[in-house]
Amino acid sequence: MSEPSIDISDILARKSEGRRSLQTLSMAEKILRMEALRNRLSPFKAMREGRKSASSEDAPGSAQRPKDEILDR
Amino acid sequence: MAMKDTINVLNRMAADGIVSRYAIGGAVAAYNYVEAASTDDLDVLVSLDRFESTPGSGLVTLGPIIEYLKDLGYDTWEKEGLMIEGWAVQFLPVSNALSLEALEQAVDVEMSFFPSDPIISTRVLSAEHVMATALETGRPKDFTRLISFIETYDHDVERFCRILTHHDLIDKWRSFCYRFEIVDVCLDNKGLR
Repeated sequence: MSEPSIDISDILARKSEGRRSLQTLSMAEKILRMEALRNRLSPFKAMREGRKSASSEDAPGSAQRPKDEILDR
Repeated sequence: MAMKDTINVLNRMAADGIVSRYAIGGAVAAYNYVEAASTDDLDVLVSLDRFESTPGSGLVTLGPIIEYLKDLGYDTWEKEGLMIEGWAVQFLPVSNALSLEALEQAVDVEMSFFPSDPIISTRVLSAEHVMATALETGRPKDFTRLISFIETYDHDVERFCRILTHHDLIDKWRSFCYRFEIVDVCLDNKGLR
């Protein structure tokens, strides 16, 4: 079977162009975007916290840390 | 609840003389230079000139800040940060020569969040000090930040190398370059001499 030969250089170029334009935003604009992202992600964070506390309740005294907690650090 | 309100509280704290100086560091300081990365907290480097320092205990030394903010109603902690207007603020007292220099050489930044809002002033660590601090701290996310600066920000190479040399971080820098296959710009840089 031959390997696919699709040129994705234009996609990669657009991606780095997007990163450059994000970089040039002002600090205030970046903070506002980050706060909007935090708000959008807050339900997921709440779910994660819920899983953490459920996990610690399931295994009282367990020395093993929840996987999420390990990944967060 | 927004970071602009958090910064206003910090400015009020400085105006009231609770800290003589402060500067934003970490991920939020990096916003001033590179693409924003997600973060849950706001690192704030504070000068302890006015405090009686207690060797070996940063938390005790931060007592006046914590008391002051408690009086303003900010007494909730999340992880290691004190919640101020929705952001977990981690106060870091100047603890070594690098952090002292970083605070002294922080840059003034004026921000306007919305056209109708007044301009807010704050202080942010210089790009080169954010980079050096990331190298010194050395967690994976710090290395990611440092790589982002190296790849995308036109930093002052000579100044960066001078900071690394002055604060004995050159060996750590060399290991970092080797590990991430990054060109060692400090190898022949005048900042080393």
